[in-house]
Amino acid sequence: MSRPIHDHEILSAVFAKMDAVAMGVAAGSLCSVLFFLATAILLMQTVPENYPVGVHLSDLSNYLPGYSVSWVGAFGGACYGFLIGAVLGFFAAVYWNLTHYFALGVMLISSVQLAD
Amino acid sequence: MEGTYQEGDEVNLKLLKAAIRFNAMILGLTAGTLAAVVVYIGTQASIVKWGDNSGGYLELLAIFFPGYSVSASGAWIGAFWAFFYFSITSWLSYRVYGKVLGIRISSSIQLNSGRAENPVLKPSTLRLHGISLGVAMGLIAALCLFSSTAWLVVRGTAAESVHAALFSNYIPGYSVTITGGLLGAIQLFGLVFLSCLLLASVYNKLVEIRHKKS
Repeated sequence: MSRPIHDHEILSAVFAKMDAVAMGVAAGSLCSVLFFLATAILLMQTVPENYPVGVHLSDLSNYLPGYSVSWVGAFGGACYGFLIGAVLGFFAAVYWNLTHYFALGVMLISSVQLAD
Repeated sequence: MEGTYQEGDEVNLKLLKAAIRFNAMILGLTAGTLAAVVVYIGTQASIVKWGDNSGGYLELLAIFFPGYSVSASGAWIGAFWAFFYFSITSWLSYRVYGKVLGIRISSSIQLNSGRAENPVLKPSTLRLHGISLGVAMGLIAALCLFSSTAWLVVRGTAAESVHAALFSNYIPGYSVTITGGLLGAIQLFGLVFLSCLLLASVYNKLVEIRHKKS
């Protein structure tokens, strides 16, 4: 049985601001895990001796100095992943909040003009 | 049924639907702009670093971004297509998120002072609903993988798509074929769903900790 949903709850959900720090840490953690797994999965595959592993993924070292498809590189990549995810998550949250403020401003101005 | 809103529920359906439409538009705008900026900066950075030899993997974007190249003008074209794709997929993902979340929308906020006195001027903090987010993002990711694979098959370059085939390292069963795309899409849905659960749980926990005292 669902309880009634008040209008102010819906409005609160619409204009709720995203916690930029929390989003930065959460996105950073996720990217860190994914980056680590992306490298680790390649390393755990059974391949013939001297077979080049992760040729394409290791090209990321062009953008991420020091990264390589190795266990050390997996941990380094996880750190890079955290950094990239955190920056993107933080700015995405800030931008999300700003866009809401902007939309709100436009709506307030429009309503004032209509009232006049 | 909780989660899907129907006529007769004690909820202002008109307002709820308008709220979902509004946030879907905002998310589309946000994600589209960010994607455009990333593609533009990525292209320009590639040109600055490698000059005439720039391109490589980035040039592969031209398969999905008609007219794109790793050049000054190509950066703008890439930004346009990135905005186009990301705004549409993000808009769609929020519509799905809102549909799945439905009347549980009130659980998606962390009230900062016990009760929202003024939801507009004193906004609460957003919480993420992991399952709704997982379903929405998973569906969109699966759709994107399947449609991009299908596009490679339709344009007749599936056999040459060695880079796309590398997905099979992470998504067993994936191949650049219609069947492989379908299998890959199903598995990708699962992966994205789990990733979203992780993202939402970490985010919500941090929000809870950070706003406990306020």
